[in-house]
Amino acid sequence: MRALHRKLIRDLLGSAGTLVSVIAIIAIGTGSFIGLGSAQRILEASQQAYYRDYRFADFWVDVKKAPLSAVERIAEYPEISALHSRVVFDVILDLEGEVRPLTGRLISTPDQGFDHTINGICLVRGSGFSDDRNEEVILSEAFAAAHGLNIGERITLILNRKRQSFVIVGTAVSPEYVYMVRGVGDLVPDAEHFGILYVKDRYARDVLDFKDSCNQIVGRVARGGQVDVDTLLDRISRDLAPYGVIETTPRKRQASHRFLSDEITGLGVSATIMPAIFLGVAALILNILMLRLAQRQRTNIGTLKALGYSDRRLMAHFLGFGVVVGVLGGVAGMGLGVGLAYAMIGVYRTFFQFPEFLTRAQPDLLLIGMVISVVFAVFGAARGVREVLRLQPAEAMRQKPPERGGTIVLERLPWFWRMLGFRTQMAMRSVFRNRTRSVTAIVATALATAITFMALAMYDSFLYLVDYQFDMVAHSDVDIGMRDEASMPALYESRALPGVDEAEPVLGVRCDLQHGAQSRRMTVTGLSTEHRLTTPRDASGEAIQIPDEGLVLSRKLAELLDARVGDVIELTPVRGRRETRNVHVASIVKSFLGIDCYADLHYLSRIVGESLAVNSIQLAVDPVQSAALFREIKELPNAQGLSVRADAKHNIEKTLVETSVFSIGLMVIFAGVISFGSTLNNALVEIGDRIREISTLRVLGYRPGQVAGILFRQSAVTFLVGLLLAFPLGYGMVKLVAAAYDSELYRMPVIIRPVTVVLTAVLAVGFLLVAQWIVYRQIAKLDWRAGVQVKE
Amino acid sequence: MAVASDSRVASRALMRIEGAGRVFRMGEVEVPALVDADMSINAGEFVVILGPSGSGKSTLLNLIGGTDRATCGHVWHGDSDLAGMSDGELTEYRRTVVGFVFQFYNLIPTLTAYENVQVATELVANALNPTEALAMVGLGERADHFPAQLSGGEQQRVAIARALAKRPALLLADEPTGALDLPMARNVLAILQRSNREQGLTIVLITHNPAIAGIADRVIRLVSGRVAEKRVNEKPLAAADVAW
Ligand SMILES: Nc1ncnc2c1ncn2[C@@H]1O[C@H](COP(=O)(O)OP(=O)(O)OP(=O)(O)O)[C@@H](O)[C@H]1O
Ligand SMILES: [Mg+2]
Repeated sequence: MRALHRKLIRDLLGSAGTLVSVIAIIAIGTGSFIGLGSAQRILEASQQAYYRDYRFADFWVDVKKAPLSAVERIAEYPEISALHSRVVFDVILDLEGEVRPLTGRLISTPDQGFDHTINGICLVRGSGFSDDRNEEVILSEAFAAAHGLNIGERITLILNRKRQSFVIVGTAVSPEYVYMVRGVGDLVPDAEHFGILYVKDRYARDVLDFKDSCNQIVGRVARGGQVDVDTLLDRISRDLAPYGVIETTPRKRQASHRFLSDEITGLGVSATIMPAIFLGVAALILNILMLRLAQRQRTNIGTLKALGYSDRRLMAHFLGFGVVVGVLGGVAGMGLGVGLAYAMIGVYRTFFQFPEFLTRAQPDLLLIGMVISVVFAVFGAARGVREVLRLQPAEAMRQKPPERGGTIVLERLPWFWRMLGFRTQMAMRSVFRNRTRSVTAIVATALATAITFMALAMYDSFLYLVDYQFDMVAHSDVDIGMRDEASMPALYESRALPGVDEAEPVLGVRCDLQHGAQSRRMTVTGLSTEHRLTTPRDASGEAIQIPDEGLVLSRKLAELLDARVGDVIELTPVRGRRETRNVHVASIVKSFLGIDCYADLHYLSRIVGESLAVNSIQLAVDPVQSAALFREIKELPNAQGLSVRADAKHNIEKTLVETSVFSIGLMVIFAGVISFGSTLNNALVEIGDRIREISTLRVLGYRPGQVAGILFRQSAVTFLVGLLLAFPLGYGMVKLVAAAYDSELYRMPVIIRPVTVVLTAVLAVGFLLVAQWIVYRQIAKLDWRAGVQVKE
Repeated sequence: MAVASDSRVASRALMRIEGAGRVFRMGEVEVPALVDADMSINAGEFVVILGPSGSGKSTLLNLIGGTDRATCGHVWHGDSDLAGMSDGELTEYRRTVVGFVFQFYNLIPTLTAYENVQVATELVANALNPTEALAMVGLGERADHFPAQLSGGEQQRVAIARALAKRPALLLADEPTGALDLPMARNVLAILQRSNREQGLTIVLITHNPAIAGIADRVIRLVSGRVAEKRVNEKPLAAADVAW
């Protein structure tokens, strides 16, 4: 082995502590790049394969009731490659041992070949429908698992006003419900309270009175040709108008698809931004370290040059440092990245129901991660060595004159400067003279702390969102959905249910809202005049009263329609006579989930052109009597869905806590390694630079703690500046994330609790102290007797 | 006559320094470390450059050795002027022509004595074996020791072994005995003298110690960056006879 190679290895081992901290920082940069990138790819590939293999629909059309003959005419459209009609109903499920009535979505499914239809289902357990009986059901796997339901067991549905018992013959997943939510208003899947029930097609049509007709059409458009689904849906709407088109949904607005696709897109953004931040900091720190390593080798480089080594050869030798650091960082990053990807897919498994995740290694990402790591490291090393190589050997062999000697700013305030004491003075001089190093320390602390802050603040935001939506706006304990619109008597009936303190009628009407060029089809919610169980709130958080006339829009909807208070909106109910009315916007309210439009119940009934109608009822109930209440609701012939606010809230909170612990934990650990690594690294570089000075102080009788105190003061100064910058920076990041997630599905409130600020600071100080403790150990261990004899 | 003798000297000259100067600039201040130096160094000669501390000795040696550039004047090696060389050519010159013994030894602390010599021998084709070179300076036994495990004098000898191992045409030694006691200094000087006498190695040795000047063929005295005196020693002393 060449002598220079030996030198390289020994020098590397000699600065192992510093290298480990730098390698850890690089590993986090490349690891997050590889991990997030891989997770995104895996998710996307799984989605695509699933959609392709199980023929995920391109559009959905909900009608009141359309004859199959009409469906056949639509199937003739050249743009449509496949069409499938079915019956879909939300029903109430009565599970043994479960007090609550649960909501099930019944979907009629061909007896055979159900994996080949549009939105095919993929059996997870069981063998599917048999010829033995009609009352067979295939359950969504998540629901079955949540309730411990097994093949062969029975469940009871309330079907067309009759209780009907079904045998479970299988569990399945479907591309239509990868993200198992009822609709876009839900935030997280609730496998416990919502399940899909696939039942035999013929049988379902028979019992539900849909012989030779259907209430939902799903279709796929011809690939290759550029089919505009929106135009196609307009045409289908017109053709099916006589049969009462309730809703048309292109794939891009389908709930499960949107949540999944949003996640993939969001992950793509994080996979760019997070690694960029981490790698940026890593590059800065690495640069400084390499610069110092090279500068510390100044005499050696000068000597080797004097012996006749060429600049190229020496450059190559020192780039070896960079290559080794880069490769080690890259390898560690690969390990971390693969682990991270697996962990993330593990979390996604609880959210997204796939037959399988296509967990493949992503060789190109691994390679890019490695290249990034090596390039950063080599670049840092090159910059350091170049500075020394520029010197003539005679110059290089001399000791480096102190950087920017002379007085520092603080010395111009003599009264202040004299107060500091000599160790603080030494620390201050060092901070001010090594500008790049100090700035890097500040940047690293600021970024790392800002990331911690952002992660914790996002948790606050979610908690606030849940609180706002489930406590401040919604107050009803139980909401019951009705199959057919009931009239007021239904309300009085419900008031008589056990434990009901209050009952309020709600009318939801699908309407087209149009303002200028913007339009939206959505449910307008009619609230009773005395509404107390739903209280929309304005921007300042004040509960508002729904006016007798006009609409109340949520901010996001107003934004989508480009509408302001006082503007006139064209409202067309998607049912009945479909007369377009001009209605004005009365006020705008704050909301974080979905999009909302409220109106007075009477007013809405009037403009829809019907006498007062109700299609859901909100109840405030006495919890003591809830069991009796639920028992009665199960018997209500007209009920088709039910939601219990406490359950929904609990479910969201549980899900958010679980995922937050993972993602916040991860970000805090990453940020911690960065700030810890940067502080430690700076201090170790400092020790290396000032080994003589430190040794001399030790010889003079200073204790290790006192000497470490100088370095501590130095770190503390840059730390405090970084910490101060971190909060505005972190707040900016939160704002940015909030802006990035501002979609129709949900918005993130920007809420920061004082305790979060405190916790962030405590964590940051913790990382600083751990790093300082290691510095102290290093100084205590330092062989100061040899230190004073060091010749440079 | 003067012309004739000059050209006779020139014909034997390995190095010729003409009007060379070196000014260090530190912000506003200019330090003229070497002013208008003229001299030549003949092949096979043992030259001692004598002068008090700060007189510009190391500066001159750096110009001769190609480790620094003159601010004015010429430093000729044969027909080529070091002042006009590119960095690459200077590197080549240092690699093939010069062997350096530095004032502060400048050994690589993370390499053993053997490896420190090896660093030099790996650079040239017909170098001595590092073991041999260490044996020449009497350190054959200490080959595996790191600089920190050697005394100052031993480190200096490793540095000499490193310089000799390259088989240079010109050996430049900056205060090689500065940190040594008399017996050790004699020892080091003897090694150099032997190489000069037996292999015909040209040596330029720097010292502030007039006693050492006795062993030189020729002595050049520097005072405040200027050549104050050039004198020829008709009868150079043997290294063993040096005393102070
Ligand atoms: N790189 C430099 N920058 C500034 N001044 C320098 C530099 N190198 C040398 N000098 C100055 O040039 C003068 C000559 O220095 P030089 O090192 O040549 O002296 P020297 O004769 O070798 O002294 P010593 O015997 O102490 O080694 C000194 O005044 C020194 O301070
Ligand atoms: Mg000198």
